[in-house]
Amino acid sequence: MKGLLIKDLRLMAAQKKFFLSLVLVTVLLVIMAQDASFIICYMSFIGAQFSLSTISYDEFDNGNAFLFSLPITRKGYVVEKYGFGLLMGGGCWLFSMLAAMVGGEIRKLVPANDTLMVAILILPIMLLVVAVMLPFQLKFGGEKGRIAIFVIVGVVAAAIFVGLKMEEALGINFNGFLSGLQELGFGALVTVLAVAAIVVLLISGRVSMVILEKKEF
Amino acid sequence: MLKIEHVRKSYDNFSLDCSMEVKPGCVTGLIGKNGAGKSTTFKAILGLIHIEGGNVTILGKDINEFSAKDRQEVGVVLSDSGFSGYLTVRDVIPVLANLYGTFEKEFFLKQAERFGLPMNKKIMEFSTGMKAKLKVLAAISHKAKLLILDEPTVGLDVVARDELLDLLREFMEGEEGRAILISSHISGDLESLCDDIYMVHEGKIILHEDTDVLLGQYGVIKVNNSQYASLDKQYLLRRIKESFGYRCLTNQKQYYLENYPQIVVENGTVDEVITMMVRGE
Repeated sequence: MKGLLIKDLRLMAAQKKFFLSLVLVTVLLVIMAQDASFIICYMSFIGAQFSLSTISYDEFDNGNAFLFSLPITRKGYVVEKYGFGLLMGGGCWLFSMLAAMVGGEIRKLVPANDTLMVAILILPIMLLVVAVMLPFQLKFGGEKGRIAIFVIVGVVAAAIFVGLKMEEALGINFNGFLSGLQELGFGALVTVLAVAAIVVLLISGRVSMVILEKKEF
Repeated sequence: MLKIEHVRKSYDNFSLDCSMEVKPGCVTGLIGKNGAGKSTTFKAILGLIHIEGGNVTILGKDINEFSAKDRQEVGVVLSDSGFSGYLTVRDVIPVLANLYGTFEKEFFLKQAERFGLPMNKKIMEFSTGMKAKLKVLAAISHKAKLLILDEPTVGLDVVARDELLDLLREFMEGEEGRAILISSHISGDLESLCDDIYMVHEGKIILHEDTDVLLGQYGVIKVNNSQYASLDKQYLLRRIKESFGYRCLTNQKQYYLENYPQIVVENGTVDEVITMMVRGE
């Protein structure tokens, strides 16, 4: 596991210029942007994407065949990819949150407390994104994975649209559900989101393991 | 060390049914033309593909029970796969050190220097030969008991190939009971290194022989039609019709040398045996 993590960190370290440009973008956004939540969102999702990139790197030039002949297990590989995604996403989230808090205070735009609350709301959403994207990447690989995600997002959007249209017909009060969420209060909302993210993450991890167990290299 | 029994795997136009064994202290070769089933056999041994039947026992354990820790005792080279091209040799060292508890960093560095492998260059920028050297070096740098090497000498010049084969001989001399399964399309490599050789064709093992026997007792007989007619055919394995008559493969060269002094009997080579076994009838 540690060996795989080192491999992925070294792969990312090879992209120094990209990292530097990310830091630069963050600093620029902190200085210029009005909305701190965008910086934290942007950085967290870019960070979580690194795990997907390393899967593409592993697949490059049929590298997976050799990789899975090393002393690792398929289960260990999946755990490492989720761990790496959370590590990089979490790292970028923390960095961008601190930068936004400092920037917001210096520019007297947003109090650090408000930025912190926004950041805490973004974290479980980032976990959900990792949970949804990793199985697709493992199943379909780099290019096809992205297409599959676009298709799924389209299907979900269409389903929501149809659902809303049928809301009345089926007698479901969707707006009532949303209002209920708003009335929960910040603490309860974060708890609900966090629990949902962890449950989806665990299900996603299990699905990824099944996907990888079936793969041939 | 390694035993596979009727390992089966089917693809659209290919089906493998292979049995073979690698014994402790032995270097076993696997030869066959492109697409014969060598790489599929290696992948089945390493658990990279799901087999449809048969058993793979590696270092005394079934492949399905072969853990990550057990894999530390195996060194692997695959012909069409290796470390990510985006890494450098300097990146690979800590990865290997953390994957293998017995990784010998000093040995690795010394050999990397001997082979002129640059530390800070991306592997994707390496020549084919340099990539091959790195793969073998990584496989022998952690005190493995068994090496599984699919075409380890591919792309190497004669000198580099010789150096690499020496490295494998040194590996065999290192600790008692070590073993190697190696495939190569360069028959000279196998003749000089292997104790026994398996030949695979269309997914099946068609010959298994000790290398000494193959080189000492196998021969190619060249005869015209009338000589062929009078030839005792009980020790002929294969024959090919030629313009001059027949070319025949035998595993009893001495018998024909003694009993038919007038016919041409050439020494067997791995190349000759492959050609005769595959093309002959």
